Amino acid sequence: MLITELKSKEVLESLLTGKVFIINCHGCKEVSFPEKEAEEFEKELLAAGKVTGILTTDYICNPENLQVRLERRRAMIDEADAVLVLSCGVGVQTVAEYLTPKPVFAGCDTVRLPGFQGVTPQEFDCGQCGECYLNYTGGICPITACSKSLVNGQCGGSKNGKCEVDPNMECGWERIYRRLEATGRLDMLKCPTQVRNFATDAEVTK
Amino acid sequence: MENYTKYKLKNAEELLPVLAGTDNIFVIACNKCFKEFESVDEPDCGEFLKLAAEAGKTVTGSTQIDFLCNQTQTARKLKDAIPEGTEAIFVISCGLGIQIIADMVKIPVFAASNSLNYTGHHGMALTKKACDACAQCYLNITGGVCPIVDCSKSLINGQCGGAKDGKCEVDPNKDCAWEKIYRRLEEQGRLEEFRNQPVQLRDYSKVNFKLVNDYVKSIREKRFDGYYGGVHPSERKEMSEHCELERFPESDIMVIPLSQASGKPAEPLVKVGDTVKVGQKIGGKAGFISANVHSSVSGEVIAIEARTHPATRGGLSVVIRNDHKDTLDESVQPKGSLESLSREEIVSIVEEAGIAGMGGAGFPTSVKLNPGKPIEAVLLNGCECEPMITADHQLLLHYPDEVIFGLRAVMKAVDSPRGVIVIEDNKPDAIELFRSKCEGLDNIEVVVARTKYPQGAEKMLIKRVMGRMVPSGGLPADVGAVVCNVSTVKAISDAIQLGMPLIERVVSVTGECVRKPGNFLIRFGVSAREVLESCGGVPEGDVTFKMGGPMMGIPIPDVDVAVIKGTNGIIAYETDHSQEVECIKCGRCADVCPMELSPLYFNRYLKDGNIQGLKDMNIMDCMECRCCEYICSSKIPLVTRIKEGKNAVREMK
Amino acid sequence: MKITELFDRGEFVVSAEVGPPKGINIDHVIEEAKTYLSGITAVNVTDNQSSVMRLGSLATCKALLDAGLNPIFQLTCRDRNRIALQSDLLSAAMFGIENILCLTGDHTKLGDHPGAKPVFDLDSVSLIHTVKLLESGVDLGGNALVGDPPKFAKGAVVSPCSDSVDAQLAKMERKVLAGVDYFQTQAVFEPEKFIAFMEKAKQFGKPVQLGIIIPKGAAMARYMNNNVAGVHVPDDMLAELAADKERAKAGITGVEIAARVIKACRPYCQGVHIMALGWEKHVPALLEQAGI
Repeated sequence: MLITELKSKEVLESLLTGKVFIINCHGCKEVSFPEKEAEEFEKELLAAGKVTGILTTDYICNPENLQVRLERRRAMIDEADAVLVLSCGVGVQTVAEYLTPKPVFAGCDTVRLPGFQGVTPQEFDCGQCGECYLNYTGGICPITACSKSLVNGQCGGSKNGKCEVDPNMECGWERIYRRLEATGRLDMLKCPTQVRNFATDAEVTK
Repeated sequence: MENYTKYKLKNAEELLPVLAGTDNIFVIACNKCFKEFESVDEPDCGEFLKLAAEAGKTVTGSTQIDFLCNQTQTARKLKDAIPEGTEAIFVISCGLGIQIIADMVKIPVFAASNSLNYTGHHGMALTKKACDACAQCYLNITGGVCPIVDCSKSLINGQCGGAKDGKCEVDPNKDCAWEKIYRRLEEQGRLEEFRNQPVQLRDYSKVNFKLVNDYVKSIREKRFDGYYGGVHPSERKEMSEHCELERFPESDIMVIPLSQASGKPAEPLVKVGDTVKVGQKIGGKAGFISANVHSSVSGEVIAIEARTHPATRGGLSVVIRNDHKDTLDESVQPKGSLESLSREEIVSIVEEAGIAGMGGAGFPTSVKLNPGKPIEAVLLNGCECEPMITADHQLLLHYPDEVIFGLRAVMKAVDSPRGVIVIEDNKPDAIELFRSKCEGLDNIEVVVARTKYPQGAEKMLIKRVMGRMVPSGGLPADVGAVVCNVSTVKAISDAIQLGMPLIERVVSVTGECVRKPGNFLIRFGVSAREVLESCGGVPEGDVTFKMGGPMMGIPIPDVDVAVIKGTNGIIAYETDHSQEVECIKCGRCADVCPMELSPLYFNRYLKDGNIQGLKDMNIMDCMECRCCEYICSSKIPLVTRIKEGKNAVREMK
Repeated sequence: MKITELFDRGEFVVSAEVGPPKGINIDHVIEEAKTYLSGITAVNVTDNQSSVMRLGSLATCKALLDAGLNPIFQLTCRDRNRIALQSDLLSAAMFGIENILCLTGDHTKLGDHPGAKPVFDLDSVSLIHTVKLLESGVDLGGNALVGDPPKFAKGAVVSPCSDSVDAQLAKMERKVLAGVDYFQTQAVFEPEKFIAFMEKAKQFGKPVQLGIIIPKGAAMARYMNNNVAGVHVPDDMLAELAADKERAKAGITGVEIAARVIKACRPYCQGVHIMALGWEKHVPALLEQAGI
């Protein structure tokens, strides 16, 4: 799950020196897209006569469909000095690869929701650590529920049960402790010392 | 296609110690996501069961579930699934599914799998590209190659010295990202710009818990707002919502189809050469589910013949040469006050006036008015959740008194103590108007619903307003509700107060290909061509025409079709040339289906010829709202497939 | 000298801490330590405390050692991965530093470089585990060390007055299981809480040094109550600090309070650790008042 945020106006203006073709990806609605901010920004560009065309579409990370849509707007793209893509990084890369040598710019920064979120954003996240710790923690993920992703228990930083990094966040390890207590499994805390393995899974790197 | 399955089974070495302390175990396996949907059966559950058997464990049962992380559906599927005597649950899924189950049940839950760690979000096409969401996109200085994901060290100021023959020091199968970047920039003629870039420093503090938490909360709120699922397509109502309602002139030749409601076409009551008047019945209903048809002009019948029909593509139409005198039929007489009419009289006026659901479905309204069950509330659908269309909005603004009168008539007909007008929050002017009109009416209220499609569908509206679920295969009356469209009750008001049968309606003419969009009061029988011509000309080129909205509207083969009772819009928009690609099990269709179905299986089973499977997955409950097709990341024409599937199921019976 | 030797002899071990400066001039730190802390057993050197970048803990420890003091090398997991941590441990042993204190470390967002990448490759427990391995002649990667392995007195921390003391005890036990030798606690102002905690903690059989902060005034106490994890200054002490501002400012009230806490807790612990936070000059008076 990702959140895309429009880059600052100064940054955007510094990128767009000539004419521009704009692509908005409203694709997977779960990737938040700054629709209003984008619209305002594009209106200004339009008024300044800098825009050769705007394509608002979805799933631009899907190369087959992206190509169909871009080809139908070839003239507008050729007329532009650069293409500005407002999407997550996957979309920008897909467009950039297809349109090279045309300079393709990212109009957004993409911010991560920690962990894999599944089909709908959850109160739970999976940090995709590759070595599930949930058996030791009563089913609460220490990788995502703890700001420091500690796997051997809490640090001393929580105050009133809240995380030192963000007082809006509950201390993950206190939650884990309560869950283990509630399920009569506090003995789990006597498991061997855990050391994380940060190597990427062999299956992925092959 | 890359396989981005999120988990793999832990190996025996890891599992046996965990299994050692447990017995009487129940196994839940997730059917995986983000991989090509090649097989319905994933092997992991079987492998684990085998291991558990070898370890001498008693297994109380097992189940394989799609998208374990879909909390709502998982809770429903697991209800009563875990047998008494189960002491531990083993979950095969990514960490998300395991946590969902651990949170849901009281017995200890164990992970039988490890998640797979990928760098970055892979998008919805399962290509090799990924975005690591670093919060400060560097693609602008790298020509569109991601240095965070593609460089093993995530370097942002250029390559390290480790590459050999263009390959990464970490993985000789991987190209050095920075060499790729260099070549890309060279192609784009941007090397100088790159050399002059200031030193880049990563900022790891950009994401904070509150931002994420608030976002997740808002998404979840939207997601479960009123009812499960649904989508938020771009509304695009701005094209026509400001256009004041105008009366559209009648044509010289009017083509009035005899089939304008669901069920059987009406029987013609006139013959060629007859003179007809406005409001004269020219087609008589031909069965229980059928509706009368009336002339919308005065003039001479010049043909009764097959013409292209917007929905059925065929069937008889009565063709009338308009004399433009607008002579009223003698039958058009006010029917008296509501107080003076009995409930039976109201139903028969509605039946006689040929009124059928004007939201698009076209179900004869008089049938709805005999629910045969006690009714607690009449819900008026003023949501107009379809994108683009603004017809009901205009109707609400211009005929508030008629709408309220019509609602009261329906309430009297079905003996309902309560009337509710539901309007989506994107129509604040209509909300304000109806709030003031309903002030002082103690049995009629206005409910404002947050915009979400398909809000106007009967079952969703009932869930939203009354919190009740219409059972599978059931009708609104089963939960004490009758749902009508606002245009329908306005027609009821006209039939009672003016005695005018249903001969006209409000139609939005819109879409990015329509030069001058508008909202018009149009008599039935005027052709879409004439309407479009007056709106700046019939659009040419690669255009899709629909009668109705983009979601549930019916595509029309050409514009020589008549406006009929269900025509709330004539839209023209650029044809979408998306190509269907393989299903990647992203789970979005199941996530948005307001009927809580799993549309990906309809596509899969239809391909496999597994008609029983279609039936078992409740394909017949689908109302073809198109949410799944709208959200489908693989652009699969799911509604077309579902229609085929339904036909196959019907034939099987 | 390893402070564990003193614990073993049954001595009441006193340590205090110094924070390295943000710069390279360290003379005044050494001078202060020599003046006020030479009478005590050991001096902790903090490791980029509160995630604020400073002179390194290892270098400061070496300087203290050269000046004749006995340093405790504090080591957090925030800024170094397992390679750097092990390497620094070997460096410390080579310098003759014999005491370490293993901590997870505050999050980077709390300090003066909030954009820094938080490492947390290891945590306090796995760091202790790693030290144990090094002591056995093997590194965390399973590779043998060449020559003599290092030997340390391995310390860790615990918060006896935390609002989740049960969870603290569970983590404490994990540290014990991983091989820790002694504990220093977060600052204590509530002796009864500390005593209750020690009743439970004594089962682990590891020496515990009571953590002490000399409160500098009511404002500082309130700040700690609101912002510092595991620290709570009760109302009566707050009132005492607020009663006479001049007295509090001169350190008289703070020293009195701290001495009282030490006296009350002394029978239940094996030492005291003073976090003077710049008030090193008051340490001798405190020890005297506390009767140590």
